Amino acid sequence: MKKTFTINISGTVFHIEEDAYEVLQKYLVKLKNHFGNEEEGKEILADIEARIAEIFAEKSSDEKRVITLLLVEQVIETMGTPEDFAEEEGEDEEEFVSQPKRKRRLYRDPEHRVLGGVCGGLGAYFNIDPVILRIIFVVLLIITSIVPALLAYLVLWIAVPKAITTAQRLEMRGQEATVKNIEKSIREEVKEVKESYKKFKESDTYSRGKKKVDGAGEVTYNVFRLLLKVAVVVIGVILIISGFFGLLGLISSLIIGQSFVQGWPLIWTPEINFPDFLNYLVEPGAVKSGLVTVGFLAGIPMLAMLYVGSKMVFRYKSNNTAIGLGLVGVWLLSLIALVVISTSQISNFKNQASVVESVTVDCDSCQTLYLKLAEDKYKGYAAQAWDLNKLKVMVVEGDRVILGNPRLDIDRASGNSFLVTVKKSSRGRTREIARDHASDLVYKYQVQDSVLFFEPYFFLEEGDKWRDQEVHITVKVPEGGTVFLDERMVDIIYDIDNVTNTLDGDMVGKYWEMKPDGLTLKELAE
Amino acid sequence: MKLENTKAQMRKGVLEYCILLVLDGEPLYASNIIQELKEAKMIVVEGTLYPLLTRLKNAGLLAYRWEESTQGPPRKYYELTDKGRKFLGELEGSWAELVDAVGKIRKSRA
Repeated sequence: MKKTFTINISGTVFHIEEDAYEVLQKYLVKLKNHFGNEEEGKEILADIEARIAEIFAEKSSDEKRVITLLLVEQVIETMGTPEDFAEEEGEDEEEFVSQPKRKRRLYRDPEHRVLGGVCGGLGAYFNIDPVILRIIFVVLLIITSIVPALLAYLVLWIAVPKAITTAQRLEMRGQEATVKNIEKSIREEVKEVKESYKKFKESDTYSRGKKKVDGAGEVTYNVFRLLLKVAVVVIGVILIISGFFGLLGLISSLIIGQSFVQGWPLIWTPEINFPDFLNYLVEPGAVKSGLVTVGFLAGIPMLAMLYVGSKMVFRYKSNNTAIGLGLVGVWLLSLIALVVISTSQISNFKNQASVVESVTVDCDSCQTLYLKLAEDKYKGYAAQAWDLNKLKVMVVEGDRVILGNPRLDIDRASGNSFLVTVKKSSRGRTREIARDHASDLVYKYQVQDSVLFFEPYFFLEEGDKWRDQEVHITVKVPEGGTVFLDERMVDIIYDIDNVTNTLDGDMVGKYWEMKPDGLTLKELAE
Repeated sequence: MKLENTKAQMRKGVLEYCILLVLDGEPLYASNIIQELKEAKMIVVEGTLYPLLTRLKNAGLLAYRWEESTQGPPRKYYELTDKGRKFLGELEGSWAELVDAVGKIRKSRA
């Protein structure tokens, strides 16, 4: 009993013996090469396959429908080879397609499919049981939270052609075992290189001149081609991997809010937590549409990477110009949409307004004011990874708190008493909105006799967006008055003018007196 | 000059005419057409017919419809279109002229 394969020709299942299979496969590939890959050629081939199936069905009378080598030879004789057609059609100049190298190509396998036949086709390509690939796929689905693996599958589903004709189905399976096959094709390739090199050497010994150049050219060409092939596969694999992980990173950061592939070495992924980041910046509606556009903008090139990469590795033929152009269109639209959304958001920063509150320090007898920083209540909490200008986001007992650092300056008071001015400013679409934002800012300080405790932070009201809010504190010192800057005040003081041009960092821990020409370091007499 | 080539050239010229001729009547599927052409020794291998059928169909001279078959896959039944019928009429005219012309020449030599 000979080994048999099960094949499907034009919708009918046959069992075919191994040797017969080889011959039939060669014949069909030859026909395919003869008729070409255009619509017309495909149709002719499908017709011929239908006829072959019919003859097989007629002649393999027994129930099992076993196709023998003899039967295949009969069929070939009846149908004729491309050489015969040329003769009958009188086309003596018919170019004979050289003995076809049966290269394995990736197709989707419609006979072994669950969804699109991608796993079936890959299984045929790698000569593994598709079930194993399906399990790997399901595992990938689970680890990648479904979407990226699903997208990768869809890319292959759309891009990889379905094996329709028997010739394609045979091509899909290629020759024998894969590893052996690859080894064989590499060995052939190397042999080719060697041979052309030998030829080159021979021609060099026997004749000089033009041939030498040809030979050298051929050797270089073959070496180059071999290197190129390897490079193409390597680049393809890199493209597939980076496309896939790029998608993984993008989608997880869009949906889950953080990129969990951050730690992957060498692989580029978008590391910003888009939704989080944007929520503090823009209106909720804009966040969603912005995310969608960002998703398309970054996702489509990654899909393209997956597509190009898989094409480079598996060398399948595909014809999806419409889908490709469509995606380019979507990409451009997303770009435009993002620009539109951004501009509408930028108008939120158009106007600036501020609210000023001045309070006289109620301490007539005080000659010296002590400026201290209140306790930092948020020291123990971790700030989120990003820092928006001067604002920080902290998670305090599950709630998000947005904080900013105020800036403190010291100036001359026009009157006789100490004065503290808090100027809150913000931006907004209109002046009124900007003012509302500004008055929403919360900043506190406390006065105890001659000591002022400044909070290290100001707060945004919950739900407020970042609109470049700032808080400027000015302590106004009357002439003759003195202030003491506590060491920790270094955190908030900002560019305080003084007669000696002492830097902020060096001003703390010292007494400063307001003299007619400005703030002067007060030497302690005692 | 090979005899085989000349013969093939002659056959090729009339093959399309013959196919149209065979199809002038009821619709047929490829095997029927092949049978007739084979009996008449117009073709030797069947593979020759399929490209011709497809080309004639693409030229609008033939049309086909699918019909289920009790054995094996569904079959394509070909028939002449109006354009095909007109085309055939013209071919018949030129065939008659050709036969006439060849006949005359042969007669004058005989």
